[in-house]
Amino acid sequence: MRFVPRILLVLTLAASQTAFGHAVVTHNSLKLKPVPVNQASQVELSFNSKVELDLSEVFLVSAGDVMKPVAASPGAKPGQVLLDLPALAPGEYAIKLKIFAADGHLSEDLLRFFVKEPK
Amino acid sequence: MEGIANYLDSLIGGVDLTFYSIAIGGLLWGLFVLRPWDENANYNSALLEKTVNLIHFGSKALVITQLSKIGLKIWLMAVTLGKSPFPAFFNTVQFNAGLARATFAFALFLFIKQALKANLRSKTHWLVATAIVVPLVMAAAWLVHGASRLEDRGLLMALTVSHQIAAAAWVGGIFQILALWGLKKQNAIAEELWPLLLKRFSALGIVAVALLLVTGTPLAWYYIRTFQGFIGAGYGNLLMVKIMMMGLALGFAWINRQAVEEYFASRSLYALTARVPYYIEAETLILLTILFTAASLASQPPSVDIPHLTATWEEVLNMFHPRIPRWESPTHEALIAGEAGRVAIVGQVPSEAATAWSDYNHNISGIFLTVMSFFAMLSYSERFHRWARYWPVGFMGLGIFLFFRSDAESWPLGPIGFWDSTFNNGEILQHRIATFLVFMLGLYETRARVKADPGILPYLFPLMSAFGGMMLLAHSHVGFEAKTAFLIQVGHTLMGVFALILACGRWLELKLDAPGKNVAGFISVFALFQIGVILMFYREPLY
Ligand SMILES: [Cu+2]
Repeated sequence: MRFVPRILLVLTLAASQTAFGHAVVTHNSLKLKPVPVNQASQVELSFNSKVELDLSEVFLVSAGDVMKPVAASPGAKPGQVLLDLPALAPGEYAIKLKIFAADGHLSEDLLRFFVKEPK
Repeated sequence: MEGIANYLDSLIGGVDLTFYSIAIGGLLWGLFVLRPWDENANYNSALLEKTVNLIHFGSKALVITQLSKIGLKIWLMAVTLGKSPFPAFFNTVQFNAGLARATFAFALFLFIKQALKANLRSKTHWLVATAIVVPLVMAAAWLVHGASRLEDRGLLMALTVSHQIAAAAWVGGIFQILALWGLKKQNAIAEELWPLLLKRFSALGIVAVALLLVTGTPLAWYYIRTFQGFIGAGYGNLLMVKIMMMGLALGFAWINRQAVEEYFASRSLYALTARVPYYIEAETLILLTILFTAASLASQPPSVDIPHLTATWEEVLNMFHPRIPRWESPTHEALIAGEAGRVAIVGQVPSEAATAWSDYNHNISGIFLTVMSFFAMLSYSERFHRWARYWPVGFMGLGIFLFFRSDAESWPLGPIGFWDSTFNNGEILQHRIATFLVFMLGLYETRARVKADPGILPYLFPLMSAFGGMMLLAHSHVGFEAKTAFLIQVGHTLMGVFALILACGRWLELKLDAPGKNVAGFISVFALFQIGVILMFYREPLY
């Protein structure tokens, strides 16, 4: 079934949260474009402010809170960031962000998501 | 070390705003209130030197804080990212605008030292000093919230900077008035200057307040937008607290203005010397707390950006709902067992035990404070005074209780060492400072109330409570659950406001004469009671 997308659902448990700091993710592609199973993919994030990518860090967190750095590049629009995720097996994951906003506030953020097998 | 860096980073904003106000507000005072070139006869050199020295101090301190701010940012990034932030940091607006701001502050410092101090009555010199401030203020514009915004940047930057200047005029003026009062007490200035300058400052103060409102309202609208954003998110909540404190400060400003007007009608100096200076001292405590709150506001994401994470007003009200305090604690084993799941990022399990543990701590602390406030009230009665005046001993008990309970995962109950936990976690560090403060408060305040001649000892209590209030307002329960963190924050910020009222009330009780003294004392004890009640009914959301 080539035309059927290989994944069915990616649930974003809770989208974006920050308790301190000023840069927050206002939109992300995880909800609309679920992360595919066992296939490298790209996630798109939009921030509410300009971010200094050189001074920011993004991690992929997998079961057991294992953290792996993720490559982040600026998107077409200001405040937009593209993340390159490796191929992922089904399961729960999170993206952990340490973002330096242009106004000097360093903020941490977390995006939780599931990678699910197609039904 | 991440903890200390984080903590200092959250405090330095307030320190910076304070010195900024002393420098900029001092210059505005010179230009609009003092006007040394106009009045040769009335002003002596003691007055002019004191005024300029204060501005000079402000500019020097501003250079140091601005440089420390940059240093702190570098440190924070190095420890958070675990690598050197160079050379990328050199290209940030933060670094460049920060350096420019420090440079212009240094230029102001040099100019005052070399030129203004030798020409205290020269209008040209005052104007040049003010001209140096213009690029300083413009550099600062690049460091505010609005500068990193994607839309309407120029407008937001301009509004924020005007807002800061208005605040600086008020705060800087208040510092000048305190200095003036110092001179008046020593009889170092002409008798009629005290009421005259108070009167002139009140005109500048009204302009400042008007400008604060005119610039603050659109900013609040822009960043908040909805009622829910005002009531149910950290940004809105801190703004609300700021407005409450602003109301308190305005109350004092209004009383002072009345006293000045009375003086010009009746020529009686009584109110102006026996009450007004102390009201101004209390007003200063409030204004400083507002500056620290403003700095912590700047580190919150604006409500408008997190509509999906705001709480409803029912949820907020529920935090203050009366209920039976939790008087049984889960065991330490149960708490530790739940910790791994609670702090996990992937596969998080909320811990009932952790929530119950925290509720118990807050509720028992609340009972401590409510009972203490009850004895404090009794101590005003002749009959019970002898023993009820020992009520501050309760703070020592509370300190010991908190030391064991507040951070259970660390020493003495938990596995993480004392120093390790203190310096690597901003929240634990804040708790430790607070715990120590509470214990010392009890020790000193008991001595102050029992000793026949306590000297300056009694003043420690209001100063420490004001500092405690400031900490509560800069305190963030750091975590990723924005809504939960906010619901916890709501109670804490309100306690911060009451701690400030407690401090101001006690300060005035010590300084005023009857009947003002008794009213202030009662308000102070009532604020303590309120803090106790908030804590007694506190229930942490499960997370
Ligand atoms: Cu707390």
